[in-house]
Amino acid sequence: MDSIWFKLLGVVVSFIVAFTVGMTYMGLSRKITARVQNRKGPPFYQNFIDAMKLGSKTSAIHHGVMQHFGPAFLMVSSVMSLMIIPVLNNGMWFSNLNFHGDLIFLLYIMVFGPLGMALGAGQTGNPNSAIGVTRGLSQMVGFEIPWVMALVALMIQYHTTSIVDLMNIQVESGTWLIFSSPFAFIAAVLAMLGMFRYSPFDIVGAPTELASGPMSENGGKYLFTMMSSASVFAFAKLTLYVDLFLGGASNLIELLIKTFVIYMIPVLYGVVSPRYRTEQSIRYFWGWPTFFGLLAILYAVFF
Amino acid sequence: METIFLIFILFLGGAIVTWMAGKLGNIVQDILFLATILVPSYLFYTNVATGYAIDFNVGGIELSWGINAFGWLFSLIVLGLGAFAAFYAVSFMKGKERRGAFYLNFILSIMAMLGILMSQDLISFFIFWEIMTWSSYIMVVYNGNDVQRIGIKYFVFSAIGAYAMLMAIVLIKSMTGSFMIESLISSYTSFSYDMQILIPVLLLTGFGVKAAIMPLHVWAPGAYSNAPMAYTSIFSGSLSKMGIYGMVIVFTTMLSYVPEGVWFRGVVAWLGGFTAVFGTLWAIKQDDAKKLLAYSSVAQLGYIIVGVAIGTPLAMMAGLFLAVMHAIFKGTLFMVVGAIERQTGTSNFTEVTGLIRKMPWTFVAALMSIIALAGIPPLGGFVGKWMLYESLITSDHYLLVIVIFFSSTAAFLYCYKFLFGFFLGQEEEEWAHVKEAPALMVVPMVILAGLTFLLGTYPGIILKPIANGMQTLGYGMTQGQLWDTSIILNEWGNQVVLQPILYAILGIFVFFVIFVTIKGYKNTRYVTTKDISSSGEVPLAHENLTFSQGFFQPFLRAVEPAMRRQIDKYYTAIANGLESLFDFTRRIYTGNGQTYAIFVIVFVVILLIFKNSIFG
Repeated sequence: MDSIWFKLLGVVVSFIVAFTVGMTYMGLSRKITARVQNRKGPPFYQNFIDAMKLGSKTSAIHHGVMQHFGPAFLMVSSVMSLMIIPVLNNGMWFSNLNFHGDLIFLLYIMVFGPLGMALGAGQTGNPNSAIGVTRGLSQMVGFEIPWVMALVALMIQYHTTSIVDLMNIQVESGTWLIFSSPFAFIAAVLAMLGMFRYSPFDIVGAPTELASGPMSENGGKYLFTMMSSASVFAFAKLTLYVDLFLGGASNLIELLIKTFVIYMIPVLYGVVSPRYRTEQSIRYFWGWPTFFGLLAILYAVFF
Repeated sequence: METIFLIFILFLGGAIVTWMAGKLGNIVQDILFLATILVPSYLFYTNVATGYAIDFNVGGIELSWGINAFGWLFSLIVLGLGAFAAFYAVSFMKGKERRGAFYLNFILSIMAMLGILMSQDLISFFIFWEIMTWSSYIMVVYNGNDVQRIGIKYFVFSAIGAYAMLMAIVLIKSMTGSFMIESLISSYTSFSYDMQILIPVLLLTGFGVKAAIMPLHVWAPGAYSNAPMAYTSIFSGSLSKMGIYGMVIVFTTMLSYVPEGVWFRGVVAWLGGFTAVFGTLWAIKQDDAKKLLAYSSVAQLGYIIVGVAIGTPLAMMAGLFLAVMHAIFKGTLFMVVGAIERQTGTSNFTEVTGLIRKMPWTFVAALMSIIALAGIPPLGGFVGKWMLYESLITSDHYLLVIVIFFSSTAAFLYCYKFLFGFFLGQEEEEWAHVKEAPALMVVPMVILAGLTFLLGTYPGIILKPIANGMQTLGYGMTQGQLWDTSIILNEWGNQVVLQPILYAILGIFVFFVIFVTIKGYKNTRYVTTKDISSSGEVPLAHENLTFSQGFFQPFLRAVEPAMRRQIDKYYTAIANGLESLFDFTRRIYTGNGQTYAIFVIVFVVILLIFKNSIFG
């Protein structure tokens, strides 16, 4: 069971699951947003059609090597996160690299992609891309603070930095961490709003203002790679939240239900929110979310 | 003759001969310079093993030199980076004025740093420390720019540090009767309480100036950016590490014997944390690459100080590993700026742009060192950052870890600014003529950048000397067997296994690069950066679309309250206050004999008036 081929199979299967689920969720979110705005909206499988179309195209031009590498960097980040985050509880199926990295490593590999992508976007020379990147990075500094505070609270409460250990603790005690460390959950969820970049934190790609920001100048396979990376990454992040706070999942159906519930938080928060400017969103994250993060750390230290 | 004397004689003699060899022609001078750096380094590593020691007597004072495993670790930073920087410097200084003086001070700095590591007594330690300060001071004012402001500032702060250290040395001599560091350490516990506090404070002040810890850092941004870049790479890379070297010794010996050591550790660690945050914020604000890297050096040294001050085995290892990594990547980055400045004539992001296709190798070096600086896996910076976070979390420094995390996330901003500002963005006609830097400059940069990759995958290479050094300092041997397999482990037993991760990252990357290129990268046509989508309008060739002004304006607006107060302003206020005090004294001591005569008469008159009340 430990052969390299089995591991590769694990990667491929996890990737396909993550891709399908992520794409479907994104399609559903488009549908939901449309219904809230009293439109009909595209069918939920619209994203698959878009992806097929983009994937089958060939590019005629490029702006240089870094632009070419950008989507691949993004993919590294998504797939590595997916491999580090345990998908299911019992660890029987495809443990991938679960035991080879911990939360701190995950935090860093999660920013690997956006930074690599930023380099690719930079080489295109489109000023909109660079503006989008500066906004995205600034916003990232904003939401990483409450996010890290939540994670540090979990780490010190349970004396481990490993995701697998945190999941096992929940399975053994029967209590989800959302109940045993509620403030950490609040801080993490508020940070997630920024992580998913729906409104009000969508200034990075601000479609009407920046022409999609970092993604402009990319089409065809480049855009396809980015799109699939985004869906894989979304699935990985949702799974991480389920693993950390909702006790993980023992089968795929349970995982889908839990991730979908978590996914609805940024989506539903987004559809009724206007857009923040960059400095407003940074200050937002350093306000209440950071306060809850501090509470979480205090709670973890004293209880 | 003892080899160690030969090494120092070669350094000194070589320095002077190189200085005077300018008349013999540039090539002779270059070769002499390289030989003076390389030959003693070779002799050092072949003939001087750890544990080497020699006592001798100069003018009635007992001096003692020797090298232990801890000093040997730092000698890697000094001589290793020194050798690379020397090759770079030869090409960098081509056609510049006062090469002799540059070479002289470069060699003297290297010699002084090695001397500091060899010194086992406080006298030679102080003398080498001063040689280091003086030679670096001359380098700071070498270009002749802003000597008034930057040079004086560096000089004043170095003097503060030196006097603090000298005072400590005198106090130690008066109490122990010996200049030996050994006897200081062994008799420290028998000192009075005041002295147990005062001596570490004085020593840490002296070391803190060189390590640019807040609030003693204000000299650093100016001094780092004003020295020639070939020198700044060892200035920031090695010289600042001498402060760390001293700090480590103070923390692991004296302060670990007394209960007050906990307070020292806490205060210095938090100072390091604040240094990291504010250094990062100010680095983001800079438009000049040299200034940006200078502030970034201050911030990075903040991390190292945090690790060293916390002092648990993992934290100390993280601090020392980061010190080695910082020497490598910051040395490279300053070399990159030097190369760009040499080829384009400026180091300002708002002027130069889009160099990636003109200076590809410089870009590769810059990219890898920036990734190492940002601490992104799988490059070396990550190992150090990981160990630092884990050590802070496992040793109950929860708020400090948030502070450090904030600063290293914010560091991504200036990392991107550095790469984008120089290499990416619009390619302007103004810089169409720029060529890649000479091979002698590019090769050291690329090799150093490659080292960051090597150390990220096989950190055991450098963790072993660090562990040996830490054993000399009294730490137990831990985790020894794990480094061969490139696993890093924290105190709770959680781990990161680096090699599978590296293979996975490379595999995924290559797979998707190939996937995107499936129809052939060659089939696509390169178009200029003017050929972009901009809402239907096609920008003309002369239209400048470069985005470089106010690069992180929104972020800076968000953190503006934190940056309103500058420690520099307080120092300026103190300086102005002192100046008016001196001005006042000058009115009394006018230098005019007539005035002094009046003073005497007035004094006598007052004495006569109050004669009765005073003398009864």
